[in-house]
Amino acid sequence: MTRGRLAALYVLAILVGLGSAWLWLTQVGPSGVDAGVWRVNLLAGSPSADAYTRARVALGALLALDRRETLYYIARTDERGEPLRAQCRYRLSGPVPAARWWSITAYDDEFFLFENSVRRYSVNVDTAPRDATGHMSFEIGPEVTAGPPPDLPTRGDGTLLLTLRLYNPALTLQRDPAGLIAPRIDLVGNCP
Amino acid sequence: MNTALRTPRTSLGAHGIGLLLVAVAAHALTVWALPRLIMAEVLRVTQNEGRASPGGVLRPPPADHTARRIVMPSPDLLYATCSLDVSQRPAQISANIDYPRYWSIALYADNSDNFVVRNDRDQGARALRWLIVARHAKYPVTPTENVEVIEAPGTRVLLLLRMLLPEDAAGREAAEVARQTLRCD
Repeated sequence: MTRGRLAALYVLAILVGLGSAWLWLTQVGPSGVDAGVWRVNLLAGSPSADAYTRARVALGALLALDRRETLYYIARTDERGEPLRAQCRYRLSGPVPAARWWSITAYDDEFFLFENSVRRYSVNVDTAPRDATGHMSFEIGPEVTAGPPPDLPTRGDGTLLLTLRLYNPALTLQRDPAGLIAPRIDLVGNCP
Repeated sequence: MNTALRTPRTSLGAHGIGLLLVAVAAHALTVWALPRLIMAEVLRVTQNEGRASPGGVLRPPPADHTARRIVMPSPDLLYATCSLDVSQRPAQISANIDYPRYWSIALYADNSDNFVVRNDRDQGARALRWLIVARHAKYPVTPTENVEVIEAPGTRVLLLLRMLLPEDAAGREAAEVARQTLRCD
């Protein structure tokens, strides 16, 4: 084997190492526990996080707090297991989480907030519409649509990511984050 | 004859193991370095922009769709940040946050770990006074009354203040007033 070919093979090995790390961090779902279609990483922000968790948090949720302070649940799919999409309309419903304060925020495929004319980027404990039983019940979807406007507007045709933040969650949730009765995410009507 | 036959195979095997080790090392280094590189950039930008601000604190406006520096910003929070270098001397932090809603101050190491967080319930009505020192600091640290000494795992620290923003204008004004009390010296 010539020296040049050997050097090329080592460069290729480095690229394989870099590429496999990137794919693992960006394509393989984060570790954690599930509550319905929502996933929460128990080590986000914690000094005891493993290297993969730390790298994933740095890429997707830099400067997270630990679960005593905040629990971050992330949903990427609806109840059918289909990826959430910004051009679809969804209804979120369920009991109000047991936390001092909570919010649900919509992010685009680059993990940033959706531009919209009413500058509404989240619903929270103070603003979330409720049904007659006191459960949260509201819709997320594109702003330009027939019928009533969504409570939380999206834009474009990319993927949609929802984050449920619980600040100072109840002790029962800190101990068992999978025990959350998480909001359902149901597709409303047909999606283009 | 036997030696001549074995040499290419041995060489190929050694290179195969070498290539595998290089690939594994590159993979591990990427995973290890990524949060440190991202934090280094956040610390650098915060330091540059905070230098011109009162008390060395960067106080960005509430996040909206134009906020594209840090992923997944919370639109419900008002933030303030400081980039601290405790390699040569301690950093003094002070705040008198009289605010009726949730707030917290968190410290992050240069690998993005959150090693301290204090919220409004922890702190109560007391003024916050911290002296942040590096774990293996060679400079003298003199404990002072009412000042809490906090040991950082490294020499670079990011401080992040979070305050819940209400919907009403008066509440937002109160949040801004409370945020102005933070100083990083």
